[in-house]
Amino acid sequence: MKRLFPKLTASLAVCSVLVSASVAATNVIKIGVQAPITGQYANEGQSIDNGVKLIVDQYNAKGGVLGKKIEVVTCDDQGTAQQAAICAKKLVNEGVKAVIGSYTSGATEAAQTTYNRAGVLQTSDGTSDSLIAHKYWTFFRNSFPNSAEADYTAKYFVDGKQYKKIVILSDYSSYSTDLADATIKALKAKNANIIYEGKIKSGSQNFTATLTKIKSMDPDVIYFSGYYTDGGLLRAQQIQLGIKADFVGGDSNDNPDYMKLAGESAKGTLLINVPTPDILPYDIAKTFLTDYKTKFNATPASIWSLMNVDGLRAILHVMEQTKSEDTKVIAEGLHQLKDFPGITGPVTFREDGERIGGGYMTYEVQADKSYKIVYQ
Amino acid sequence: MDIFLQQMVNGLTIGSLYALVALGYTMVYGVMRLINFAHGDLVAFSAFIGLSVYAQIFGESVTSLGAIIVVFALSALIVAFVGVLLERLAYRPLRTAPRLSAVVSALGAGLVIQNSVMLIWGPNMKIFPSNFFPATIWEIGGIVITFTQVMILGVSSVLMVGLYFFIHQTKIGTAIRAVAIDQDAAKLMGINVGRIIMIIFIIGSALGAVAGLFIGSYYRGITFDMGWMYGLNAFVAAIMGGIGNIPGAMLGGLLLGLFNAMITGYISTQWAETFTFVLLIAILVFRPTGILGETVAEKV
Repeated sequence: MKRLFPKLTASLAVCSVLVSASVAATNVIKIGVQAPITGQYANEGQSIDNGVKLIVDQYNAKGGVLGKKIEVVTCDDQGTAQQAAICAKKLVNEGVKAVIGSYTSGATEAAQTTYNRAGVLQTSDGTSDSLIAHKYWTFFRNSFPNSAEADYTAKYFVDGKQYKKIVILSDYSSYSTDLADATIKALKAKNANIIYEGKIKSGSQNFTATLTKIKSMDPDVIYFSGYYTDGGLLRAQQIQLGIKADFVGGDSNDNPDYMKLAGESAKGTLLINVPTPDILPYDIAKTFLTDYKTKFNATPASIWSLMNVDGLRAILHVMEQTKSEDTKVIAEGLHQLKDFPGITGPVTFREDGERIGGGYMTYEVQADKSYKIVYQ
Repeated sequence: MDIFLQQMVNGLTIGSLYALVALGYTMVYGVMRLINFAHGDLVAFSAFIGLSVYAQIFGESVTSLGAIIVVFALSALIVAFVGVLLERLAYRPLRTAPRLSAVVSALGAGLVIQNSVMLIWGPNMKIFPSNFFPATIWEIGGIVITFTQVMILGVSSVLMVGLYFFIHQTKIGTAIRAVAIDQDAAKLMGINVGRIIMIIFIIGSALGAVAGLFIGSYYRGITFDMGWMYGLNAFVAAIMGGIGNIPGAMLGGLLLGLFNAMITGYISTQWAETFTFVLLIAILVFRPTGILGETVAEKV
């Protein structure tokens, strides 16, 4: 062992010299994408990846940033915490400056510490309030927190709809639990009557047993804080079982696949989210959506992809402004941004990385699967 | 009371699906003493094949009895063919090898099928059209039964009863039972064991195919890795009923479905799976051969 040790250190030293040399020699700036490219939320993940690549191509066409080309390194975290931890290590080893993603709060949280230790910036659409609890200087949220949505939901339920018997359902993910808890808290603050708080197992497909139990309580509304893959089935099975209550979905139900899964039953669903991509009032949004459509012959999966794109745009903007690749300097610059014109509205970050703002709306799904704004 | 009855309907529906899948496990085990771990993935494969057949031939729009029968028959045929292929490639070369080799081969074959499904149809969730079966709903005394549920309960009952009579009343059925009791003796009596095993795989895979299509039309969203969940539950059902025993697999499947529905409905979602395995352990401790398992116990 003793004889082996100097050899080992020597070879390690050679390795690290080689690695640092190769990093210094490259004339590119690497940006990571950590998103669920496959698995349950593949639809969202691929859209994030597409959006990032579109913006990067546009930058590279103009000569890149700081005179260097930008290279995108994508890692598929499948929306799970285990894969997210692997992705974080991989992207750090690749030498990325910043990581866009992930889509789910759970996968984002699992990767946070690794990026923070390596000094890699991370910006994610994860809405779980716990994401900013660590106060990592590397983390910036490009969406709005669950607590903002929860306050809006409570106001809508109590002041708008005047629901008397409320059922709250969530899955076990960090995002969904967090949103449900925040909503319950906000509802209780308004003295609302919650008759049932339950959980479903994401991906288990069969929710009839839970729904049958709910049916006996004759609720006015079933609120689901999970993702579209379960939400669509929940809605379809609710209608099948003849439960008359309104179905209100949290932001992650806002996805074209929700409509496909719920089928005919989608009609009448109430969805709470920030504005959908097609009704964003900003010119920059219209240009982006047209470019996206031209390049990928599809529309972005949801507003979440656009929020991630805004995260990337803010970082690249600050890089150009500060003329620096140093992540400390960029983080400093991000904090100083004030109403940076984003696709999803003005971008301003709080000291702890939280994006300031909100602007939630409720949409009712029409028979032709289009949206009608019913409350804002 | 009507909640209880509704839970019964929910439980029996999922239970018949488990039972159909469990039959595939139990028949292969009965004859070959092999847990065919690839069976669950075959079920997932059949859901994808069924969706493609439906989309290719009928453009996902026609709902007629004829169309549905064509889709079911064609998918069952394709899946049965893959099942036979599976036996040829993964199990036949290992028939005289130690049992562990065959089990490892089964796990490997399952991964091959699962990843092939992912490569062919992509990793994203695919969605069955909502008009595969008519959206008719009956409400009887507060209990809701959908057309799809009636189809699942009806077709699986017919298949299970049919299989029972096939095994007990026909010549081939007698041969299957003989092979299950003693392969060598059966061979000496002039039974072509290779052919019997092929028949077992055809029947098991075809039943799995029917279950896969029902899962797709009932739950709508199908993923390439869903086979594991249904496979595991059906495997538990087969053990509960007594593995190797055909009525046992049916009973085990129905009981497991009911048990799951009741636990989810009356206790909580997060405990449903835990209780499933607690029940499995309890059965293995107090009745190691399963509920109806005494007929095969003599051999193990």
